[in-house]
Amino acid sequence: GFQQQGMAGYGGQAQPPPGVNPEVWTWFQSVDGDRNGKITSEELRLALHNGNWSPFNSETCRLMVGMFDKDRSGTIDVQEFAALWKYVQDWKSCFDRFDTDRSGNIDSRELTTAFQSFGYNLSPQFCDLVVRVFDRRGTRHIQFDDFIQACVLLKTLTDKFRAKDNQMNGTIRISYEEFLDMALDIKV
Amino acid sequence: MAYYGQQQQGYGQQRPPVQGQTDPNFLWTVFQRVDRDHSGHISGDELGQALSNGTWTPFNPETVRLMIGMFDKDNSGSINFQEFSALWKYVTDWQNCFRSYDRDNSGTIDKNELKTAITSFGYRLSERFYDILIRKFDRQGRGNIAFDDFIQCCVVLQTLTSAFRGHDTDQDGWVTITYEQFMTLVFSLKS
Repeated sequence: GFQQQGMAGYGGQAQPPPGVNPEVWTWFQSVDGDRNGKITSEELRLALHNGNWSPFNSETCRLMVGMFDKDRSGTIDVQEFAALWKYVQDWKSCFDRFDTDRSGNIDSRELTTAFQSFGYNLSPQFCDLVVRVFDRRGTRHIQFDDFIQACVLLKTLTDKFRAKDNQMNGTIRISYEEFLDMALDIKV
Repeated sequence: MAYYGQQQQGYGQQRPPVQGQTDPNFLWTVFQRVDRDHSGHISGDELGQALSNGTWTPFNPETVRLMIGMFDKDNSGSINFQEFSALWKYVTDWQNCFRSYDRDNSGTIDKNELKTAITSFGYRLSERFYDILIRKFDRQGRGNIAFDDFIQCCVVLQTLTSAFRGHDTDQDGWVTITYEQFMTLVFSLKS
């Protein structure tokens, strides 16, 4: 689980800032390698592990820093970190729920179940494609970090599609420029 | 009028508009300097450290990955000397291209310069869309685009345009696309 994922705190540091959960504060300090009070996506990457100790995908880290960096500083302060930390934990329990064989990886079938339960109407062929694209190790499985990245991309694109689907019939007519605008999200 | 680039024009086919020649002995010297651990292969990190965007900020790691992905023909995750020769040419061609559009020699290109560049590649994009591009690719948050981000911007634009063109069978600049087709199209471009 996430608790064993290398984010063990050192403890014994200064008091947490007001309103910050002491446990979050401990995690924050252990992730903030250079102790400057700000977490970069690289510091986050070094702190996070997949269940099998493989390093976390740097794109997923940039994606998450981008999502929680409310003041657009490019880094995460302790308040922003509290939200990010909860986000990672929520995704981890989600991942574990769909990793039915407890392999620490999700295969195409498990991903199909996951997407269906999220309410996405996508074929098993599409789930095969997602596994192919996000499987960084060529094992036909995706790991926790890749799972987060795939789900975030899917949600972002689905929201954009839905916004154009006025008749709610699952088909849209879009211009070249609308397409570019929607698809630019593949660049994280 | 074409709504996007003519395929004949140089920006396509993984190649920027300007061409050049480089002496192989010189390239070998550069290769050895970039290959810091003398492994005979250049990793993404080594390439990132060797490249400069002219603004003293680290080279965009996404552009580095993009380039490694393009030139790593044997899928080894690193670049050998032969692959490096092609990559070097690619980078210097982009550099010449970038310089020719950086009219004020600021080391970055602003919206108007970007518009001139992209229009000259044959794309037809609205004023509003250049603002979107700048917002997306400007990593420094200064309202303009550095060399490394410019490469990434052009390559992404090229990739998305070919994908769109593939679906736009009557070439009128519009596509009708289902949810699953759209998702499949965009997810396929990832990686």
